[in-house]
Amino acid sequence: MIEVKGLSKSFGNVKAVDGVALSVGKGELFGLLGPNGSGKTTMIKMLTGQIKPGFGSLRVHGVDVLKDPLRVRELVGIIPEQETPPSFLTAEEYLHFVAKIRKLERYEETCEKWFDFFNFGDQKNVLCKDLSRGTRQKLMFAQAFLHEPELAIIDEPLINLDPVMQRKVKDFLRGYVKNDGTVFISTHILEIAREICTSIGIIYKGKLVYTGRMDELGLEGRNLEGFFLELVGQPGEKQANYETGITGMIARE
Amino acid sequence: MFDIFKSMMKEEWRMHSSLFGHSGFALFPGFIFLFTFLVCLVLPVFREIVSDAGIALGMHYFFLLVGGMVGAFGLMGREFMNRRFGQASLIAYSSRTLPVSERVIFLNFLVKDVVYYFFLYILPFIAGFALAVKLVLPSAAGSFKFSLLTLTLFLSFMIGLSVVFFLSTVYAHSGKTVIAGLLLAFPVLVFASGNFNGETLYAHPGLAFYLAPSETRYLLAPAFLILVPSALSLIFLKVDYPQVQKSFSNSFSGLSSRLGSYRYASFVAKDFLDLKRSEGGLGKIIFSFLLPATLVWVLLSALGNVIPALDSLLLFSLVLGVLSSSMYNWLTEFDLFASYAFLPLKVSDVIKSKLDIYALLNVVPFVFLLGLGLRTEPYTLGPSLLVFLSISFYMVTVLVYLTGLYPSVNLYNGKTFALYALSIVPVLILNIVLSILGPYYLLADLALLPVAVYLLGRSFRKWDGVENPQF
Repeated sequence: MIEVKGLSKSFGNVKAVDGVALSVGKGELFGLLGPNGSGKTTMIKMLTGQIKPGFGSLRVHGVDVLKDPLRVRELVGIIPEQETPPSFLTAEEYLHFVAKIRKLERYEETCEKWFDFFNFGDQKNVLCKDLSRGTRQKLMFAQAFLHEPELAIIDEPLINLDPVMQRKVKDFLRGYVKNDGTVFISTHILEIAREICTSIGIIYKGKLVYTGRMDELGLEGRNLEGFFLELVGQPGEKQANYETGITGMIARE
Repeated sequence: MFDIFKSMMKEEWRMHSSLFGHSGFALFPGFIFLFTFLVCLVLPVFREIVSDAGIALGMHYFFLLVGGMVGAFGLMGREFMNRRFGQASLIAYSSRTLPVSERVIFLNFLVKDVVYYFFLYILPFIAGFALAVKLVLPSAAGSFKFSLLTLTLFLSFMIGLSVVFFLSTVYAHSGKTVIAGLLLAFPVLVFASGNFNGETLYAHPGLAFYLAPSETRYLLAPAFLILVPSALSLIFLKVDYPQVQKSFSNSFSGLSSRLGSYRYASFVAKDFLDLKRSEGGLGKIIFSFLLPATLVWVLLSALGNVIPALDSLLLFSLVLGVLSSSMYNWLTEFDLFASYAFLPLKVSDVIKSKLDIYALLNVVPFVFLLGLGLRTEPYTLGPSLLVFLSISFYMVTVLVYLTGLYPSVNLYNGKTFALYALSIVPVLILNIVLSILGPYYLLADLALLPVAVYLLGRSFRKWDGVENPQF
């Protein structure tokens, strides 16, 4: 569903993404992991045709993203990192707005299903600007799946949700993938990847430093956090910082 | 204490320069100077119909308004930045995380606004005004006391600022109704006291001192209006505003369905609800468009009496075209392209939808002009309507080409503003000259239409090609 080759993107002198190649097959739940500022959101923006790469090629859902970014956004369900639905529409109106933009028919029932799924209750009549961040994120989640896409690309899927909703969303995503859906998520919360992803990629300073299936990761005796830190940091040095560095700094102050 | 002030100054500068670009924003005071200078070059004509005291009155109320707007922006800065950048945090809101009291932060905030905007707005404005007066009205230069004007305009700005801060404190404690009551009570009291006439306007505290500087007691009123509201704001400061969740039943679906299969039905319905549900509602169209238009007509009618060569209706249609283009600002006020970037939409789709609504809204000034023309000068109505339509269309396309979906932000960039002024001012001057030669010379405005269409095509390509089209 996603084929990326030699993908690079710079902002001024900063290389946000540097020569990334990856492939995500149908039915996979792929997690792109990386520390803050490692290039995850830039990757998602390129995959969905929101920004153009400096170099490289991308095919998403069989479409060349560079040639037809609109077609990609028609086919794919996308949840951006920032939840910014229009301020003066209510939650319900916003879903109807998205449904009309996507030229869907008989969408009212689907919208209601999503409001039930996320326990919106009366909140569906509240202006988007007055909703809490968590509720806005639920709304963004609903809009991404309104047209029942075969591929969903999600930037930080659970970051503002409470534990109950996190569980529901994780269960939904597992079920979605079981029914032949494909999901590409980016996150820096390793727990999410460990629980739901079938394969992962680890990006660090714009470079993809690891890709593989979760079941082939060989985590025996180690946790994902240890593996991740080995790839993106130097555990010995970090430990020294935790144990002596910060308290040492405070003592010096 | 001084560290907070310095950090706030840096923050204000960085906030503006991140919105408008470093060099672009650095040029902004220069353009305020230039713009004021150019506008003031017509002072000799203006003085034929307005007295020097009247000109001073306009300037003092203008700076009162600017102070109020700066205060409102300061207080709503976080919301504004959040709308533009998705997430922002200002030092003004850091008392929750730092061991500094809200009062200390607010005091720094107030002083920062005063110093920052004095150099950004007030000084360049006075410099532009003074230079123009010395050039075109050397004999009258003595009648405008520039140092005194600097002081009293500064006082006007401060009054606006401190009154808005005070109102925001009242709002934080008592909500919107009390604010509305206070705002209404003032004119009602003046009216009830029997002092409601043209002279009342000259009681503006800064202006009164400007007009009679020997009366030092007149300084007491501005001092009172600055110090007391600021002190009360500090004493009763409350950072947390009442949070109200507004609910509405679904009006969107019905509205967009009524528009049938029209391509941008969803956007038209959304924009209508934006206008209706945002502060001021649909009434802001009346206050920010029809009211100024009426005032302009009154002024131009008077000007037409003084200078018979000028045709009031033709000039009015020109101004109306310019005023109309400001409607594009309202229409783009509530949108972030980030809200649509993940949907199958291009920037040009959103711009096209705005332009369709713009065309629809132009019916209001068109009908206004039609009614006025039929009553006053039916023989120049045809050319007047042509001038209005072509200027309105041309101006909005220039605005779209230069600023895309963010006119109210991008026009603050000095270079963009210069380009905008260069594209507009010669056309307007040419129109004034042609209107003097005769109404039918204005058929030349038809030539603006292909230019506008060409510019529009380029605008769509330009903004579709701009990566991450700002915010």
